[in-house]
Amino acid sequence: MALSRRLLPLFLRRGAPVPARALSTAAAPAAVASEDDEEAITVKGVRISGRPLYMDMQATTPVDPRVLDAMLPFYLSRYGNPHSRTHLYGWESDAAVEDARARVASLVGADPREIFFTSGATECNNIAVKGVMRFYRERRRHVITTQTEHKCVLDSCRYLQQEGFEVTYLPVRKDGLVDLAQLEDAIRPDTGLVSVMAVNNEIGVVQPLEEIGRICKEKGVPFHTDAAQALGKIPIDVNRMGIGLMSLSGHKIYGPKGVGALYLRRRPRIRVEPQMNGGGQERGIRSGTVPTPLVVGFGAACEIAAQEMDYDHRCVSALQQRLLDGIRAQVDDIVINGSMEHRYPGNLNLSFAYVEGESLLMGLKEVAVSSGSACTSASLEPSYVLRALGVEEDMAHTSIRFGIGRFTTEEEVDRAIELTVHQVKKLRDMSPLYEMAKAGIDLKSIEWSQH
Amino acid sequence: MAAAGGLLQQGGCVGEEEQGVGVRRGGGSGCVRELGAEEGLGISVTFVCKDGEEKLVEVPIGMSMLEAAHENDIELEGACEGSLACSTCHVIVTDVNFYNKLEDPVDEENDMLDLAFGLTDISCLGCQVVASPDLDGIRLKLPAATVHFKVDGYVSKSH
Repeated sequence: MALSRRLLPLFLRRGAPVPARALSTAAAPAAVASEDDEEAITVKGVRISGRPLYMDMQATTPVDPRVLDAMLPFYLSRYGNPHSRTHLYGWESDAAVEDARARVASLVGADPREIFFTSGATECNNIAVKGVMRFYRERRRHVITTQTEHKCVLDSCRYLQQEGFEVTYLPVRKDGLVDLAQLEDAIRPDTGLVSVMAVNNEIGVVQPLEEIGRICKEKGVPFHTDAAQALGKIPIDVNRMGIGLMSLSGHKIYGPKGVGALYLRRRPRIRVEPQMNGGGQERGIRSGTVPTPLVVGFGAACEIAAQEMDYDHRCVSALQQRLLDGIRAQVDDIVINGSMEHRYPGNLNLSFAYVEGESLLMGLKEVAVSSGSACTSASLEPSYVLRALGVEEDMAHTSIRFGIGRFTTEEEVDRAIELTVHQVKKLRDMSPLYEMAKAGIDLKSIEWSQH
Repeated sequence: MAAAGGLLQQGGCVGEEEQGVGVRRGGGSGCVRELGAEEGLGISVTFVCKDGEEKLVEVPIGMSMLEAAHENDIELEGACEGSLACSTCHVIVTDVNFYNKLEDPVDEENDMLDLAFGLTDISCLGCQVVASPDLDGIRLKLPAATVHFKVDGYVSKSH
């Protein structure tokens, strides 16, 4: 997967000392501010000094400084429209876009002609799901997906149902993995798409892409995978995995927000109905001026990921183990949501029994983490992903997702452990349920009276 | 109107692969025949025009659908004259059984088809479909427009 040297532009310095790893994701560890601290921040009624530790890498990632270096010239001096055919500004902008396209393609084992730039993975998922089904609407009326997909895939499927297509939402096993036999059974002669995400954003579980790809190839059904969380983190090979369409996101791999790419297989050729009509840019798949700086940033992020994937994986695995051991050493009754064996280590979703999730989060103001519920909806409903795993509602409410990334340090992990353990213990001390459980009472046998 | 089987000799055609960039193919045979070489040996093809009008024409074995359209004054634009450099001879094979008889398009044809207006999953380029006996009775529908469409209805003069 390494790119040849001649693809590297001059602004990506090689061999220079890499200060990037010395940066932590927060300026300084935050603590509840004292009264006379003038630099304290008051947010949502809580005063904290300094910015919180960032442990929410699945939501977004900081831009790698090397990526920003690559992007800046295209904002300030080489700002041409890549579709301008008549002058240097256009030509150099177009060259940069094609260069970036090759880098993205290289990271996933694709041909550059199979990569189409979009505004992000959500747009890619829309094009993949709705675009494919609408193109083949005369002969294909059925879609198969899973219950743990990202909202944009599920919403697109629901929208297709309004148009008269049929959708099968496959359940997942307790460990979050899809049942391959069930998938194979669900495929019909008129199935036009199977969509299973590579790495789940909430629980970090990695689906068996090669096996799914093999089944889809045997049955002649295009296989789409939402690889937004997987790109640059686990090795992806579109040919080995039999992938027909793939959604990629820039801001999950230390690239800029607002850019993504859709992989569309050339052999056999997969066609989609475009969702964005216009001047025919990106071969008509996605009209609109291609945003050169964003695309260059995405390309640079992909190249860095190709070089550093193994190293990052080792670091992140070690940090995940540290986090898990640290919390488990001091707190019991914790459940890890999703398979530990088939997991991307940078995503750790834990449920703390007998603790209410919102209050846990409120007490963790100095650590930026996410709970299992609010990610895609503003309602108070617990996460549909956890529900699909069979997690009970009370445990789903207490889940916390820790995201570890390239720039996370050991100090941040230790501090996160400290704060989490402190908060959990505090809440459990107050919890009558914990008292009863420790006394040996089976909570499920209690009949709660209604007032 | 089936052609005599003996005319389609697999071994007898030499050096027909390259005609500029355009590679011709037909249902099961790679041969390009001398046009009009055999009287009365053709297949019937129905062209369905943009306005719904149907025209039944006889196409000699070995002639491409684009050429056949031009011979019969059917408005099928062929801007690049069959050299796989445009998408304007895009036709839709209304019967999927006939579509399945066609050979799989090569990458170059697919690349041009990608850009065609009104593309469907049973579309192909007319210049790449060569008349052969098993395509007898094929119906080809012309799409509503090509990439050269103008919203005010302007039609540029042909060269």
